[in-house]
Amino acid sequence: MTEPDAPSDTQATYVFAVCRNADLSAVAELPGVTVDAPVTALPLGKLTAIVQSVRAAEFTDEAWQARLSDQQALERYARAHHEVVSAVAARCPAVPLPMATLYHGEDRAREALSQEEGRFEAVLKRIERHTEWGLKVYATPSSPVDTAPAPVHRVTPTGRSSPEPGAGLAYLNRKRDVQERRERSTDEALRAADLVDAEVCRLAAASRRLRPHPQPSADRRVQVLNATYLVDERRTGELALLTQTLRDRTGAQIELSGPWVPYSFVGEVQP
Amino acid sequence: MTRQVVPWDSSGPPVGPIGVPLVDLLDRVLATGVVISGDLVIAIADVPLVRLSLHALLSSVNDRVPAPWADGGPL
Repeated sequence: MTEPDAPSDTQATYVFAVCRNADLSAVAELPGVTVDAPVTALPLGKLTAIVQSVRAAEFTDEAWQARLSDQQALERYARAHHEVVSAVAARCPAVPLPMATLYHGEDRAREALSQEEGRFEAVLKRIERHTEWGLKVYATPSSPVDTAPAPVHRVTPTGRSSPEPGAGLAYLNRKRDVQERRERSTDEALRAADLVDAEVCRLAAASRRLRPHPQPSADRRVQVLNATYLVDERRTGELALLTQTLRDRTGAQIELSGPWVPYSFVGEVQP
Repeated sequence: MTRQVVPWDSSGPPVGPIGVPLVDLLDRVLATGVVISGDLVIAIADVPLVRLSLHALLSSVNDRVPAPWADGGPL
């Protein structure tokens, strides 16, 4: 039985990327976000959108709410989206679109995306021969274990253990030292993060700071910088060298990840 | 200083999804790159409710730890 307005029959158009000189061979074999239809090209004039026909019912706000609370489902979609975007971008100049960009059908997608053609061209120009690199800086907090000797206990004639006179003050002093050390190492880590960011910015075409991630409880490191940079492909070697130099200079742990398709540098471009 | 292992560390073209950490991927495919607005789900990272859910999710990805600083972060 089918409901009169059965939403499961309604198709929507999911858009992965918009590219120039589309090379579909890169995506023809990829599953995309659904098994119902292949990933295809949608001509927009000079540009081409890489799209897939999906069931609209699977991409409503409610469906996304459910997906966001289901890590495995979200991960599956995020990786499927990224897989198509990466494959396209590896073959031709492409503007990655955010996950879950959907339209009511191909005609509507063509109309909406064509209106943005100037903007897409501006983005393509900006990210041409550039890739994105993620960079994270971690602080390792100083050990909270007291280095001062443990207070000596003596046994009183009554057999009860009691602390040395002045033990309370010593305890407070140790606590204060630990607190001061922690503040000092936090300050140092934040200064190192600013220094690293400033140095990498000089090499990068653009930069953005992302939200620092909390670390798993087993990991005592604190992430003090989560930034991402748009870097000319010809300067990737320099970036790797600079990262190593900054590791040596600051003593901070620095993680470099990439190259990414420049997801983070397509949003703010004006035509 | 230990060299941190990154998931992909070659000078090749931007590569596929294998080994890319989920939190880093979500930072990029959800929170940024909003060039245009779709019809059905409009820039979902801009919807406060979704952002809240995402925040909760990302915390759980990271083993549900409290923020490193009491005031929610240094930056």
